[in-house]
Amino acid sequence: MQFWALIVDSFRESRDRKIFWVILVMSGVIALAMASVRFDGDRVSFLFGLWERSSDYYNPLTGAGRSALVGGVVYLLLMFALGWVGIILTIIATAGFFPTMMERGTIDVLLSKPISRPRLFFYKYLSGMLFVLIQATVFVVLTFLVMGFRWGIWVPGYLMCIPLLVLLFSYLYCVSVLVAVRTRSAVAAILVSLAVWFLYACPNTALGVFQAYPDLQKHQRWYQAVRVLAWIPPKTGDIPYLAARWSQAGTSLDVFPEELMEGASMTDREQLDRARDLEEQELKKNPWVSIGSSLLFEVVIVFWGMWVFTRQDH
Amino acid sequence: MVALTEMTNWGVDLIDVRKTYRGNVHALRGVNIQVGRGEIFGLLGPNGAGKSTLVKIMMTVVRPTHALGTILGRPLGHRGKLARIGYLPENHRFPGYLTGGRVLDFYAALAKVPKAQRRERAAKWLDVVGMTQWADTRVDRYSKGMLQRLGIAQALMNDPELVVLDEPTDGLDPVARRDVRGLLLELKRQGTTIFLNSHLLSELEMVCDRVAILVDGLVARQGTLKELTEHTVEYRITLQGETASLAKRFEAMGATVEGDVVTVRGHDTSRVNAVIDAARGAALMIESVEPHRFSLEDLLVEAMGGPGTARAIPGAKQQFPGSTRAAN
Repeated sequence: MQFWALIVDSFRESRDRKIFWVILVMSGVIALAMASVRFDGDRVSFLFGLWERSSDYYNPLTGAGRSALVGGVVYLLLMFALGWVGIILTIIATAGFFPTMMERGTIDVLLSKPISRPRLFFYKYLSGMLFVLIQATVFVVLTFLVMGFRWGIWVPGYLMCIPLLVLLFSYLYCVSVLVAVRTRSAVAAILVSLAVWFLYACPNTALGVFQAYPDLQKHQRWYQAVRVLAWIPPKTGDIPYLAARWSQAGTSLDVFPEELMEGASMTDREQLDRARDLEEQELKKNPWVSIGSSLLFEVVIVFWGMWVFTRQDH
Repeated sequence: MVALTEMTNWGVDLIDVRKTYRGNVHALRGVNIQVGRGEIFGLLGPNGAGKSTLVKIMMTVVRPTHALGTILGRPLGHRGKLARIGYLPENHRFPGYLTGGRVLDFYAALAKVPKAQRRERAAKWLDVVGMTQWADTRVDRYSKGMLQRLGIAQALMNDPELVVLDEPTDGLDPVARRDVRGLLLELKRQGTTIFLNSHLLSELEMVCDRVAILVDGLVARQGTLKELTEHTVEYRITLQGETASLAKRFEAMGATVEGDVVTVRGHDTSRVNAVIDAARGAALMIESVEPHRFSLEDLLVEAMGGPGTARAIPGAKQQFPGSTRAAN
């Protein structure tokens, strides 16, 4: 009863924030833009036929074309539009949840109810993630339907992007909540969680550069340092790979199909080979090690936040 | 001493409650308060006396440095028992995106009130506090008085055995204040224990059975209004003539002299007669002799002189630093 009361309350609180509707509209616009694209043999039309061009690459009738389209949706739209921009907006939107709850006069009434502080904290934490769950579900389901009905590409694995986006958000949200309960300031929570996200991203980006340009790997000390740093959870950088991998699981899709390699120039071929090697390396990784270690990090941060919240006077 | 059986019958029995904030700030320095079941108890004191801290400790909002005792027969801080307690904090805030009806439903759900009862009780209490027509309006559009009335309804949604109200009439107009007083008396009639924290002494005087005066984190006075005020009488004798020459003689009799007024404290009328005899012996005219009974305000003002310096008031329970639990 108490859990549902807090969940429903958080939904109402989310719904009351303009940013909630901004992100929903953003998802709708992206889905509409995707729906405006139509493939007809080697022809691609945009904006419901206003502009047309030929493309061998983005042809859903071929395996390579399908892979490129799904990859494009996962990396460009899902991970950039919703995963980065959307999550920054969501961090901003949800950073106020705890400080608002902890305002004088509000927290007094809540703590006077027969609900323990750790439970109140945990339920509120979970209900904060409801915000991103709603957004991720709307975006992924809309784009899933567009890909299916307009492009003829049905990829059930793509729906796994919903929990992955929630997971990506939760790696940052735990930091935001910890800062929020320590400082009772939404601004501090936003700034620190974005700074921490930047710190998470730096080693992953650097590692990507090292792997894309093997010549750089001769700087062994730097390369090893970056590898170690990139190993430290939470592994936000693994989420796009996992999203692409799971989106294509159980389908005939291949991120680097043979059709793509045929007719490629020598330079392109070298780059594609390297990309395929990297992809194979990623595929060898056990995703549960990445998710498990990141979740362990999240659990530690959440318990730290809970401990602070439980010990505080209001 | 309070008998054990009597102790367990207290609605609220606070023993040696202490709270020290960071920086060695002693908000409460060993408070002992007993509230009988079914009575209206008033807590009063100057700003910074520790009243709100004490109430927050009772409601588990603030963690005590040290505290013993019971609330409704369970140890202080027992979370399950909070389901039987209603609380209205001072300057409470409700989420602005909720309507009045949803506020009541949300907080009652947190108090584990079943859904069917929530709907029924929300309608009842909204009606009692005169807010039925505003039930579907967002609370961020409410005035302070409306929020206060909604807060009172919120505190009663779980059909509590104990209601703790911090400044319940704050922001209310005189008519609404009278209504709240009526509501408190009705709750008392139904057997609800009420713990009231208010700075409006006249209101406390009107409804409270017992009061405690908190000064500097200690209970300076505690008892029924009758206990606290019946022995606190002083006689003001207004004289005409040259009183200055007799001032020392009056003071030797335990009286105080301010201009033409000689004040004799206490019920001992023989001292009043002695002052009158001395005045008449010196050919002074007696203009008037007025008995003056202490009000809560007088008690509070006197207590604010400091628990260590306040004069003893016979019959009233007192508590000073280092004392043990006040009981007789």
